[in-house]
Amino acid sequence: MRVIIVDDEHLARAVLREHLAAHADVTIVAECANGFEAVKAIGELAPDLVFLDIQMPKLDGFEVVELAGAGKAHGPQYVFVTAYDRFALRAFEVHAIDYLLKPFARERLDAALAHARARLQVADAPADGLQAVVQAAAARHGPLERVLIRDGARVQVVASSSIDYIEAQDDYVAICAGGKRWLKSQRLAELETLLDPQAFLRVHRSYIVNVGAIERIEPAGKDSHCALLRDGTRVPVSRSGYARLRDLIG
Amino acid sequence: MVGVFANWRTARLYLLAWLMLGLLLAAMLAAGGAGLAASLLFALPLALVYAYATGYSAYYVCRAYPLGQAPALAIGAGIGLSALCVAALWCAMGVAWSSLLAALSLALAPETPMLAPAAPLLASMFGLGVILYGLSAAVNYLMLESDRVRRLETQELESRLMARDAELRMLRTQVDPHFLFNSLNSISALTALDPPGARAMTLQLAAFFRHSLGLQAGRKVTLDAELALVRNFLAIEQVRFGERLRVELDATPDALPCLLPPMLLQPLAENAVKHGIGRMLEPGTVRIAALRAGSMLRIVVENDVDPAIGDNVGDNAQHDEDGAGGIGLDNVRRRLAADYGHEAGAHWGREDGRFRVAIVLPAQTESEIRCG
Repeated sequence: MRVIIVDDEHLARAVLREHLAAHADVTIVAECANGFEAVKAIGELAPDLVFLDIQMPKLDGFEVVELAGAGKAHGPQYVFVTAYDRFALRAFEVHAIDYLLKPFARERLDAALAHARARLQVADAPADGLQAVVQAAAARHGPLERVLIRDGARVQVVASSSIDYIEAQDDYVAICAGGKRWLKSQRLAELETLLDPQAFLRVHRSYIVNVGAIERIEPAGKDSHCALLRDGTRVPVSRSGYARLRDLIG
Repeated sequence: MVGVFANWRTARLYLLAWLMLGLLLAAMLAAGGAGLAASLLFALPLALVYAYATGYSAYYVCRAYPLGQAPALAIGAGIGLSALCVAALWCAMGVAWSSLLAALSLALAPETPMLAPAAPLLASMFGLGVILYGLSAAVNYLMLESDRVRRLETQELESRLMARDAELRMLRTQVDPHFLFNSLNSISALTALDPPGARAMTLQLAAFFRHSLGLQAGRKVTLDAELALVRNFLAIEQVRFGERLRVELDATPDALPCLLPPMLLQPLAENAVKHGIGRMLEPGTVRIAALRAGSMLRIVVENDVDPAIGDNVGDNAQHDEDGAGGIGLDNVRRRLAADYGHEAGAHWGREDGRFRVAIVLPAQTESEIRCG
């Protein structure tokens, strides 16, 4: 079994390493000290199992799972490791997700390993519970302050306030900020619920606009308008979108 | 003793007022043609007796019909009715007293003219009695009300004191659970890797909790002692974070004996590690500096911040409480205000890639307090 250990504290990694050494069939293919390394390693090494700390700098454990692709058919199993997180524990219980509480006993780790092994054999059931936990984790801090985008092996962090507009493209959204454009695999409706409703407005079936980025609204044709943004882009505004915009700006 | 007679000062004032009223009554009687001595003899004792009677009876009536709780109509009726009864009794007493005086004067000094209460005199006495009873009731209501306000104030003061005690208890027992469990996890790792290191860390953890659990609300500690606690805390965090956490402590010798509220700096150091260094990929420094400038003690706690975290985001992130036991900076400001009022203050902000909290408070050492 190929395993990755992710924790920002070297001693916490050492405990896991020590306990895992007792299992002959376990190979530690990578140890990561932060979320960025973890996303990269999970993408490149395709491990069977990831021990994932929740509290880490930059990216927390949930964000790592989100970026590495939660619920993918052939994705790895995850065992979360945390010292104390009431939110996470409740979510894990509800969705029957495996976790370890620091400090943990060897028996507890062995049980988690056995559980993961059994699930790997059952083969490739997509982890619905995991996705639900990741979504709940994203929503718990209120409106998104930054959007995380996976760009190959790299992770791009885009501050919400710097986003000009977001465009729906099939299963993806294109996020445009400061003249740059990133693709993220997420539905527009889902992203809309996560962003601050005071700053971001769905002006069209396939467009969300940062209200602060709008320079002016121009009429375009008979019943429709378009918004001219600070970067010069014109974004179509539907009739209902125009009404919502008027309500928000007053 | 109750009501206006509850303490000597108010009782004396009250009786003095009634003495004046008695004199006024006597003056009116004398002006009406009665002799001065007879008027005084008649009016003064009656006034004083009435003072006692209304003082007591109005107190109980006021207690029975508390303002704001009993309906206004019931209050009016209750006071009015008792006023009528008491005034009628007073008139009866007036008649009895004047006939007693008349009998005495006949026996002792027949030539002294005595006052015979005629119907108009009794009527005005009755009216006066009712009005004075009303006044007395008003005085009693005022006293009850001021009593209530004073009681409320004491209660509020007590609850504020209790809240402060509770706050400190919370501060010292609710040391961030992350800190405790992560430290235990580090010890668990060290037991195999580095047994002496594991022992050293348990000792540091024990020292930290012994110190913080031994603190008492309201008893200030020296900066030296508070810094020892902070040093202890940071040493434990350095075992966890390794190279990532660097610490610089710098306090001038004259600042060390100064007193400050307990657990003021430790939460700041905790914030600096948790929200500052804990969010950085690269190593960062927590810097604490203290110096005494004349009558003021200045303390600065600052930490490096991840440059990628936006300015406003960073401030708020370090500022807000995340519900997991984070102690807000507002809390520090409130505690300073509670202990020093406007003489102390706390300011924070981000500059040059660092988050910086600056505290200023009056510099007081144990000996300075004892002398001055």
